[in-house]
Amino acid sequence: MMHRLLRCARLVLLLAAAPLMASAQTAPRPLVWGDTLPATLDPHAIFDVPSQFILLNVYDGLYRYQGNPPRLEPWLAESHTVSADGLTWEFTLRAGAKFHDGSEITAEDVVYSFRRLLAMRRAPAAAFTPVLTAEAVTAVNPRTVRFVLSRPYAPFLSALPLVAVVNPRVLTPHVAGDDWGSAWLAANSAGSGAYRVNAANYQPRVSLDLERFPEHFSGFAGNPRPIEAVRVRPVLETSTRVLALLRGEIDATDSYLPADQVERVDRNPTTRVARDESMRVFIIRMNNQRPPFDNHDVRLCLAHAFNYEGFNNVVLRGFVARNAGPNPNNLWGNPENLAPYAFDLARARTHCDRARAAGVDLSRPIEIHVQNELQQTTQAAQLFQSDLRRIGINLRIVPNTWPNITSATARAETTPDMWIHWVSTYFVDPENWIGQMYDSQFHGTWKASSWYTNPRVDTLLRAARESLSQEERQRLYAEATALVVADSPDIWVYNTVNLRGLSRRVSGYSFSPVGSGGEVRLMSLEN
Amino acid sequence: MALYILRRIALSIPALLGLILLTFVLSRVVPGDPAATLAGDSATPAQIAQIRAQYGLDRPILEQAVIHVRQVLSGDLGNSIFSGRPVAEEIWQRLPATLELTFVALFLATLLGIGLGLVAALDHNGPLDHLVRLVSVGGLAIASFWLAIMLQLQFSMEWNLLPLRGRLDVALGQVPRLTGFMLVDTLAIGRFDLFLDALRHLALPAFTLALPGLATIARFTRSGVLEVLQKDYVLYARAAGYGRFRLAAIYVLRNAVTVTVTQVGLLFGALVSGAVAVEAVFDWPGLGTYAVQAILSADYKALLAVTLVIGVVYAVVNVAVDVAQAIIDPRVADQ
Amino acid sequence: MTALRHLLRDPVAALGLLIVVFALFVAIFAPWIAPRPEDAFESNIMLRLQPPSAEFPFGTDDLGRDIFSRVILGTRSALVVAVSVVLAAIVIGVPIGLAAGWRDGWLSEVLMRVTDVFLAVPQLILALALGQLLAPGLTTAMVALALTYWPFFARTVFAETRRLRGALFVDALAGIGAHPMRILLLHVLPNAAPAVLVRATIGMGFTILTAALLGFLGVGAAPPTPDWGLAVAEARQHLPDAWWYATFPGLAIMLLVLGFNLLGDGLRDAADPRLRRSRK
Repeated sequence: MMHRLLRCARLVLLLAAAPLMASAQTAPRPLVWGDTLPATLDPHAIFDVPSQFILLNVYDGLYRYQGNPPRLEPWLAESHTVSADGLTWEFTLRAGAKFHDGSEITAEDVVYSFRRLLAMRRAPAAAFTPVLTAEAVTAVNPRTVRFVLSRPYAPFLSALPLVAVVNPRVLTPHVAGDDWGSAWLAANSAGSGAYRVNAANYQPRVSLDLERFPEHFSGFAGNPRPIEAVRVRPVLETSTRVLALLRGEIDATDSYLPADQVERVDRNPTTRVARDESMRVFIIRMNNQRPPFDNHDVRLCLAHAFNYEGFNNVVLRGFVARNAGPNPNNLWGNPENLAPYAFDLARARTHCDRARAAGVDLSRPIEIHVQNELQQTTQAAQLFQSDLRRIGINLRIVPNTWPNITSATARAETTPDMWIHWVSTYFVDPENWIGQMYDSQFHGTWKASSWYTNPRVDTLLRAARESLSQEERQRLYAEATALVVADSPDIWVYNTVNLRGLSRRVSGYSFSPVGSGGEVRLMSLEN
Repeated sequence: MALYILRRIALSIPALLGLILLTFVLSRVVPGDPAATLAGDSATPAQIAQIRAQYGLDRPILEQAVIHVRQVLSGDLGNSIFSGRPVAEEIWQRLPATLELTFVALFLATLLGIGLGLVAALDHNGPLDHLVRLVSVGGLAIASFWLAIMLQLQFSMEWNLLPLRGRLDVALGQVPRLTGFMLVDTLAIGRFDLFLDALRHLALPAFTLALPGLATIARFTRSGVLEVLQKDYVLYARAAGYGRFRLAAIYVLRNAVTVTVTQVGLLFGALVSGAVAVEAVFDWPGLGTYAVQAILSADYKALLAVTLVIGVVYAVVNVAVDVAQAIIDPRVADQ
Repeated sequence: MTALRHLLRDPVAALGLLIVVFALFVAIFAPWIAPRPEDAFESNIMLRLQPPSAEFPFGTDDLGRDIFSRVILGTRSALVVAVSVVLAAIVIGVPIGLAAGWRDGWLSEVLMRVTDVFLAVPQLILALALGQLLAPGLTTAMVALALTYWPFFARTVFAETRRLRGALFVDALAGIGAHPMRILLLHVLPNAAPAVLVRATIGMGFTILTAALLGFLGVGAAPPTPDWGLAVAEARQHLPDAWWYATFPGLAIMLLVLGFNLLGDGLRDAADPRLRRSRK
């Protein structure tokens, strides 16, 4: 009996090992990318960090951010001019750039793309709808596109890389009703980027296969051995992602590797961690319109009660940089010598006591909403909770999800007391941070969910948005930042150092805060 | 018999209708305005109103319920809030992965369960018997998500024997989607190496999923065999010189089939629940991960559709089990 | 009483009882047993992720909290959840079973069809859906679990009631004019009690597992509750290095569920003499 069992066990082991031997003689492994896939492949339907991977690899825009700190480089456009009043922008297109179907990219295609974007009014359109109408985008000649803004908008150029140019010849046959082909484009592609989508193998959130587009206008300059095939296989859970990387099942994790895993991944002979200072600020929001947060002392009390040192340097092992205000440290527009709030429970208690003396009720439990799948938000909340207990404030942690929280932030009454999130780089301009976070005209969007109102700050931010002088904008943003930080509407904790676990087979990885280093065009693989 | 089968199917219809209504009620307790949620980030009030009309959200509640039932019956489960694509299509893409995992787990559970139960019964009160009893009680007590993690750490990370996640090694090649069942599709294109790779990927998740069922089946087989061995006619047969093993082999099979068929219906629910945890840990692209992702993206449409689809599969399995039982033991149908 | 004696004579069931009693003891006195009861909410980040040692027998977690203390404190919430869910399920399921089983008719049909609907919904999936639709949290999870577990009691009691309503003593009671309510509560229910008890015991183990799974998936207990399932989920980020973090909460789940399952098995055997014979 026992013998038979043993023999069976041996057979099973042999069967299990057989494919290991077989795999040695198969073709070179493609690049297996383990980062998250976006909800849809349509570049005009969403704009979040995962969708940037599609935008940068499958599509091209007029301009593109490259490198770190990010430089804005001409892409499908080779140059542009702007009128003295800042309203009329003209872009000259590069000659000879082709879509995946071989047709040439013309000014009409760019016009179509912007009209589609503005008609669909989804996330990436938000930066343009206040200043641009569909009729204001026109083709002057096959290689010149003209935009006429309704009023000056300084971040216009910075926001241009958000917009993918799509191929109307591929897309129009699939348009159903007034959907601009979005049902079809959600699972297909109509781009010109360095890689094209193999739509037959696409499964939402499970797998996306990309093949190189050798005729891409960049000619893959500077990369003698570009990667031919990419298999995007998102790994649902952070921990599985790390283990899969260590085992070589994937070549790259997302760029938010848990700090505790960095040493392990670096120590492993086949993997490494790419560390890149990004522009992504970690924020604990307060609903300034709801008591007790309408009281300045209460907000100061809370700002002094978070253990920044402990969180940044111990829990996150120093892989982040303390950030004093809403704008990332490494961006322009910050005042000089902006001092961050310090962790000081004695001072926090003084402020809280002062608030209590002024009649503020601090006895009710305060709710802090965290994002379920992002453990760092939970860690920060638990740390905050244990320190707040010491000064007599009861913090209640509510696990929630990004879609639920952001739909709740549409109104002040439904916005949580506090919640935790990051503001990533959507475009590189203070408008992306302080501009959209603290100008009261953005109330109702998740970025402005502290419901902060300061008329002086509003004036400064609006002036900065319309000014065409970089020097003046710098001054205006610095002044606004100083005012906002003094008011302490939120708790700014750190600026992110992006940590991406990579297989050592991957070379040429180049990080930029926009896209988080996901441009495959620049990478090569050793086999 | 045919009458019984028809009656059994007819009886499951009210339950299914009830299930559809239940999902409708659930969809109406969603906090907030479903039309606003569907309309997306920067929708204007006009767009929201248009969506409200399009989805019939402006009609009386009873009419909406009727619309809902009609839509579901015609296979329309609505569009995912996350991706905007038809939920039915997304579920259809993922269902085979879950079914394959569940079937393999069921197969493992039956095979190992009967084997262990038999061994235990033949070694009544011996060391093997105690071992099997321990396994059969312990197997029902282990949290599947925990076991899954422990197996990953041991078999994939420590011993490097089995893959950690997914259904197939991407480097080995592509498998066209014929049935969606990896084991079938790889054989259909004649790639035995891919078939073996798919099996290796199935090993850990299927075992984790099989364990509770295995424990149950082992226990029922054991007591079934013990009972058979104590029957008078068996005692006569033994007196006549038949060996215990041979007797068990003769009687146990018939017994095992009945036991397993009865258990399959009960186990299926447990398997589906288990699949959510197992799929999440092993990154298995089935309905379980779909449900988990739906939670993370607050996609109530997808979540309710999963509830509905699994409920239907569950009901179908139960009808099939009852019918199978009636075929094996016609007395059931007479009752 | 004889049942209890039978139970104790079966070593396996006795072990189950021992585990359950031990767990109850730990749960009741948790704040006094745990070496660091304040670690339910207190964090000491300088001590984070320490391996097991004399000071921290199960090591520490990612916020430097003593896992041993948190496992002990977690016993209480695990048991509270299980007991409340099973009690709620009994409160819903038993009356429905009694009412449906007592007389055939439209009421019985409707009740049992409703029971079928709830039985057809996969427990976990409904719990997930409810958790998502209402506010996710422990209360929602408990409501969902109770909502999906009562059909089992309804079915059990339904079968028992149908069996008993034809019994001679019930006929006799009806003959002397006893009110049906009185017969059901005083005579039928006590006879169905053993079956309900067995169901309840097994349901305890089952509920603990499902609640842990919900915690693991993030729709159950909220941090910093020392919930076992939640702890395993939090531990995953630190694997494979901090093996102790996931291991001990998982073992605690297993031990407690094992206790209830062994006890349930023993109770079932004790309640069913036919099985008792084959168990020897």
